[in-house]
Amino acid sequence: MITYIGKFIIEYAGWAKGLLKLFGEILYWIFIGPFKGKTAQRLNVFQQMMFVGLASVVIVVFVDFFTGVVLAMQSAYVLEKMGAELYVASLVSVSLCRELGPVLTGLVIAGRVGSAIAAELGTMKVTEQIEALETMAINPVRFLATPRFLALLVMLPALTILGDLAGIFGGFLIGTKSLGINPDLYIQISFKYLELKDIFTGLLKAGVFGIIIALVACYEGLNTRGGAEGVGRATTRSVVLSFILIIAADCVVTAFFFFF
Amino acid sequence: MSVKECNGEVIISLRNVTKSFQGRRVINDASLDVKCGETFIIMGCSGSGKSTLLRHMTGAIRPEKGSIFIKGKDIANIPLKDLDEVKKTFGMSFQYSALLDSLTVEENVALPLREHTKLADEIIDIIIKMKLSLVGLRGFEEYYPSQISGGMRKRVGLARAIALDPDIVFYDEPTSGLDPVVGGITDKLIKDLSSKLMITSVVVSHDMHSVFKIADRIAMIHKGAIVEIGTPDEIKNSQNLLVQQFINGNPEGPIDLFKEPE
Repeated sequence: MITYIGKFIIEYAGWAKGLLKLFGEILYWIFIGPFKGKTAQRLNVFQQMMFVGLASVVIVVFVDFFTGVVLAMQSAYVLEKMGAELYVASLVSVSLCRELGPVLTGLVIAGRVGSAIAAELGTMKVTEQIEALETMAINPVRFLATPRFLALLVMLPALTILGDLAGIFGGFLIGTKSLGINPDLYIQISFKYLELKDIFTGLLKAGVFGIIIALVACYEGLNTRGGAEGVGRATTRSVVLSFILIIAADCVVTAFFFFF
Repeated sequence: MSVKECNGEVIISLRNVTKSFQGRRVINDASLDVKCGETFIIMGCSGSGKSTLLRHMTGAIRPEKGSIFIKGKDIANIPLKDLDEVKKTFGMSFQYSALLDSLTVEENVALPLREHTKLADEIIDIIIKMKLSLVGLRGFEEYYPSQISGGMRKRVGLARAIALDPDIVFYDEPTSGLDPVVGGITDKLIKDLSSKLMITSVVVSHDMHSVFKIADRIAMIHKGAIVEIGTPDEIKNSQNLLVQQFINGNPEGPIDLFKEPE
């Protein structure tokens, strides 16, 4: 048992070290690389942004919209008993912007984009494409990981904003159509208790989740071993580990803003 | 394309290279010299370590012991940053071509040019057309690797390997999996590159037909050790039983695949 736990700790300590090393290399290519004449290709970054951002809009809006709807219905169930159903509006907007918007967007993107990145880079690894890049003196971290990192870092907060809006709109539909709250009043209450700080906290979280997804997916992809099975394993690991890290990071960031 | 200066000096030199993976010795004290402009073949059975030896020469693997000199620089012991500079002077054609799936044929060949030169796009276009016509693939610029045959992919890989006009080209099994005609064309291409452009070729192969057609010199490797180096005639007339068994494809002899490892 103890040897099992020891092995587990050593394995994941090595994993975390690899992840941090990759993070360091990516930061090098973003901040120091340009001064040495080598950085991520702009075209590559835009292509990844299209894939990460634009192609994910529908699913993110879908998930957040229905979360807003459900949140409004569930909170109305309790608040109605206290005669405070008007406050459904602010409950929906604040909880979406601070918590649910970024977390749900992060999880959806980890599933949709993180898995795709891990599978793509993993296949490139097992078919010698990564080695071919290295033989051509093209650094795979600069050429492959950095554009994906930048795309996720920028697009995840952007998607979160869209998701927040979709969720608030979902709550608005329930509030006005089902609970009979005046639309103007609903909007007013929605934003009355929502501070700019709440939105920024949410966007900061989204940025952190973007970093986590990019690092985990690129690391798993670039370290894939052993053919088709290895690619499958890398893909699964990237999704599972991203989920765990997103939830853990969410807790840490929330606690930070709660206590400080 | 410039014809390189070449007076038969040693361009690649391996000295006592040794490498183990998980305790198993894969390369055992290998030393060899490749002269400028020649076509040097490394042959041996599957799993004999020939591809691993080639990967040492391209800097993909670093040896535990020994030195690997490429144009006088010891790539086994230089910092990674300087290794990149050496890498730009050679090209490599991979066994399964290793083209980037997400790029078209044209973009694949253009990749080293776009990454390592400041040439204008029009000039890069001309170079790509030249390289692709050299391998007989004009008109396939817009195709993706998944849309062309394995043999064509291999030739695109070769076009990519020579895009930067390298001094040395490494080939990992250039004719395996090709039909006899395309195999013959590939052999001729390798021969032409070295005779017309003075490109040094290091070829890993076990296709005996192609080996004797293109080789200037041949090294036979067995269990990670180099057992014989010589011209095709010397190899054909070698007294070494390993070499004779290998070139004749004889199932009986000192190479025994069924022997239990000690």
